[in-house]
Parts: sequence; structure tokens; C-alpha cells
Amino acid sequence: MNTAELKQMADHLRFVAVDMVYRGKDGHPGPALSIADIVATLYYDQMRIDPSRPDWEDRDRFILSKGHACPIYYAALSERGYFGEKVTDFHLRALGSKFQGHPVMNKTKGVDMTSGSLGNGIAIGAGMALAGKYRHKDYHVFVIVGDGELQEGICWEGINLAAGQRLDNLIVFADKNNWQSGGSVADTIGSNNIKERFEAFGWHTQEIDGHDIDAIRAAIKAAKEAQGQPSVIVCNCVKGKGLSFMENDNVWHKGVPTDEQYKIAVKELAGGIE
Amino acid sequence: MADFKGTREAFAQALLDMAEDHDKILFVSPDSLKAMRATKFAELHPDQYVEVGIAEQCAVDAAAGLAAAGLIPFVGTYVGFLTMRACEQMRTFVAYPNLNVKFVGINAGLLGGEREGVTHQFYEDLGILSTMPNFTILTPADGPQTYHAVKAAASIPGPVYVRAGSGREIDVYAKDAPFSPDGITVWKNYGTDALLLSSGFVLDRTLAAAEILKAQGIHVTVADINILYGRNPEKILAEMARVSQIVTVEDHNINGGLGSYISRLACENEPKRVKRIALTTFGESGPAKELADHYGFSPEAIAKTTADCLK
Repeated sequence: MNTAELKQMADHLRFVAVDMVYRGKDGHPGPALSIADIVATLYYDQMRIDPSRPDWEDRDRFILSKGHACPIYYAALSERGYFGEKVTDFHLRALGSKFQGHPVMNKTKGVDMTSGSLGNGIAIGAGMALAGKYRHKDYHVFVIVGDGELQEGICWEGINLAAGQRLDNLIVFADKNNWQSGGSVADTIGSNNIKERFEAFGWHTQEIDGHDIDAIRAAIKAAKEAQGQPSVIVCNCVKGKGLSFMENDNVWHKGVPTDEQYKIAVKELAGGIE
Repeated sequence: MADFKGTREAFAQALLDMAEDHDKILFVSPDSLKAMRATKFAELHPDQYVEVGIAEQCAVDAAAGLAAAGLIPFVGTYVGFLTMRACEQMRTFVAYPNLNVKFVGINAGLLGGEREGVTHQFYEDLGILSTMPNFTILTPADGPQTYHAVKAAASIPGPVYVRAGSGREIDVYAKDAPFSPDGITVWKNYGTDALLLSSGFVLDRTLAAAEILKAQGIHVTVADINILYGRNPEKILAEMARVSQIVTVEDHNINGGLGSYISRLACENEPKRVKRIALTTFGESGPAKELADHYGFSPEAIAKTTADCLK
């Protein structure tokens, strides 16, 4: 896909995610929209995957450490063909649904790791990356963490491990949208200087606009070229990106669009087509 | 099988023996290489040794990642730093996805932690793990049984926990005695006045109690329970059916371990009296033998508690 097509795809995934939350009447749309461009670039352009073989040993792995953003993940897996036909009603968070409130590897095809309890994705990703090195596989492990999530101590245990083991097959996207459940990240802990912290831990670091497809592509290329170091790509994102009423309004950390708001989403993300 | 003495040495030896043939087996160490007696393993198999530093949650998470990629990681360190500090990682990222991660906890119980005191002496692990679906819980009685339990753990699919000590355990089993897949091994069959069930490193004390009781004219059966909350309790139930009084002995808190397991089996199958000998308080520092005696695990105390039940 070219840049324009990827951008279009990201907006399409955004709509599928919002639709999923609207129909399911529960979920976290703001965090999902924040990472839509990263997820679209990974699943449609960057990752070595085969939806017909979700357990393929040589595939690239993906961990959505900030698991509450899963509507965008489920949207990408569905659109990419992991479930055969594209899913029209996900029954998100409903009893018996394979689309749980947070990603579950044994219930949803294509989910490489159960996640959602914040903080654990980097350490688990480091384990997967270690396994790749040990088994002489050339796959990459991609992890998306939230900026608020980085307050969890376990993150830094994993960051330490990945640097010490020189895991250059591990690439972490830090979704820096400056919000967390209770308010702004800076108000919560005083600062949000992610890049400097990773640097201090010995990581290869970059900071980009997390909604710029070309910048995401270029950053992944540079990350892959960094030898002997794991990489973090700090992505400046807008929580709720793509929907006028949702952008930068933290009330949408978790929430369900009204019928009126849903119509706006149809207009702004789906070209008016439901 | 090379010679070894103690449960930690047994773990290291089993790991060494398995690594010879199985390159999928790894040891993930949260700076526990020395504590787990695995230095030689790391020297001989450096690629199969992963050091994460003093970071138990990270050790469990990394092991989950390794297992998700098809490997069989063993995580070993002090019981509480696994089952308490990394409890959530063991639950959410290993037990829930049913990943093939193996855990070996050392310093279990008063006997395991002995002189270290309460911070390194753990008697809650079985209660914690018994609430997690998918976990297989192995409680070997001594060094030789720990060796076989670690080997069994590698071949049992899914998460497995092996409860180990610190070298103060008295060996009871022969070196080549297999780890019973039935969850029970009957050691003495003096009679059916009571059934004494022991789990872990108090087996020698329970056997000694049976001799004291025999001298008093009380004839009991003694068995070692080596798998807790297992899926096939039939042979345990068969022994329980022969008596009207059961006594459980374990170096663990009174809740959540052997006593809870046997009480459940009794309630659900054939109700009968179960007297639980276990810990109801925190321990303290002290030599293993003196501690165990002080906290109610002397052969005399086990015999007296049993005799009192039969009055």
C-alpha cells in the first residue's frame, strides 16, 4: 500500500473500532484511535505475517501492551483476514465473544500474546525476541505501550533486560498522547520525557509524529538497522485522533458514542457510508 | 544420574541432565543462579541460561514470551518472590494462556527458609497457586523426589510448579524411585486407626510419628501426597476410604495447601474427620530442625495430635 492508501486504511480501521464500541456499548475508543496509524502501517505494510497461518513460527510478533486499545487491534485482524470473512458485529465484551475486553491469545486468532494488565508487554516481548535470537529466527517483535503505562515498574525491568540482551529484534512504539485514565500524564507524575528515559537505559530512540505514515515507516526502517540495541519509537499521538468530538478529550478514554456521535463518525471516518 | 544432596541441587542436576538432550529447555534466572545451584548449568549451556537480574516479574514475563515462541523455560528462585511478587504474571500471562512455563520455588516452608526468617520463608504459595486454573502443583518430599519432579514438570504440558527447599530436607525416597503420577505413595501400612498424609519435607517426621503411635498401640497408615489438587485423586480417595480419621501434615499455612485439598476431597466424596497440622502464624529465624519442632512438626507432636483425635 502507498502512503495515501495506508492513511485511508487507518481511518477505515478507526471506523470499524468505533462501530465495534458503539454496537458493543462498551470499550476504550480514544486509546484505540490514538494508535490507528501505527497499527495500520504494521499490519498492512511492515509485518511479516500470513493471516492463514497465525501460528507460523517465522512470523513477526505483535503485542498490544496497552490492551484496552484492542478495538483497533481487532479491526486490523478482521480486515486483514484472520477470521475469514470480515467481522461485521464483533460483540465486543459480550458473553461468549472471542473479542474480550482485553486481548486473549487463546480466544482470538492472530493475537500473539494475552495483554491488558498494564506494563507487561515489553518484558514479554523481550522473551519472544530472546527466543528468536536463540532459535536463529529473523522475526521482529513489535510492542505498543502507552505513555501512562510506562509508570508501571515492570516496564523498566523489561527495558533493562532488552538492552542488556542487545535485543535489536524488539521494536517498541510508545504512544505518547499525554493522557492516562485519570488525567494528563505530566500532571500525574510531573513529566513525560519518554525518549530520554529509554536513552538512559541504552535503547536506540526516535521521536516522530505518530500519525505520519511515512515517518512511521522510516522509523521502523531505522530501528531495524540499529544493531545491538532494542528500539523505541516515541510516537506523538492525539488521543481519539480522527474524530472531531473525540480528539484530545480524555472523557473518551472509555466511553460509548451516542447515536448522534455515531453519525458524525460515519461522516468523518467512513465517507458517510455506514 | 549424578550424585546430589538437597532439593536445590536436585533441581540443578535434573536441569543439566535434561539440557543434554533437549535444546528447548532454558533456565531463566532473576539473579538466582547461585541460589538454585545452577552455576554449572550456566557454564555448560550458556545459551540456555537467561539472566534477567533481580526482577522476578520480568523473569516470569520473559518466560511467558519464550514459551509463546515454543521453548520450555524454567524459572527458579525463592518461593515468595515468584508466587507473591510475580503472582499476577504467573496468573495472567502463564496460567491464563496455559503457557508451557515451569516454576521451581525454593525456601518453601519453615524448613526451607529456616535461618533466613520470615522474609525468605514462605508458607502461602500453595494457597495462591491452587486458585489458578491450569497449574499443576508438585510437592516432592525430598531431594531425590525433587529431581524426578523437575523432570516430570518438563513433560507435563502447561504451567507446573515444583515446591523445593534449601537442603535441610531429610531424604526418604530411594534415588531411583519415580515421581508417582497418582499423587500418592503409601509408606507405612500399620493399620487403619488413622491415615496420616504428609506433603513435602515433613515426610520423615510423619513416618517417625507413626512409629511412636505404633509403640502406643495405635496403628496408622502413612502416605506421601506429591501432587496437590491433581486431576486424578482416585488412589488418594481409595486410601481415605479405609479410615475414619485423617491427619494432614504440611510445612505450609493451614489454609490452601494439603489440609485444604484433603478436606475438600473428604467433603465432596465421603465426609470424615480431617485434622490439619500446619502453620497458623508466621515463623521466625532458627535452625531447621529446632524451628520445625517448635512449630508443631516434631514426631512427638504429630503423634500426640493424632492420638488426641482418636480419644
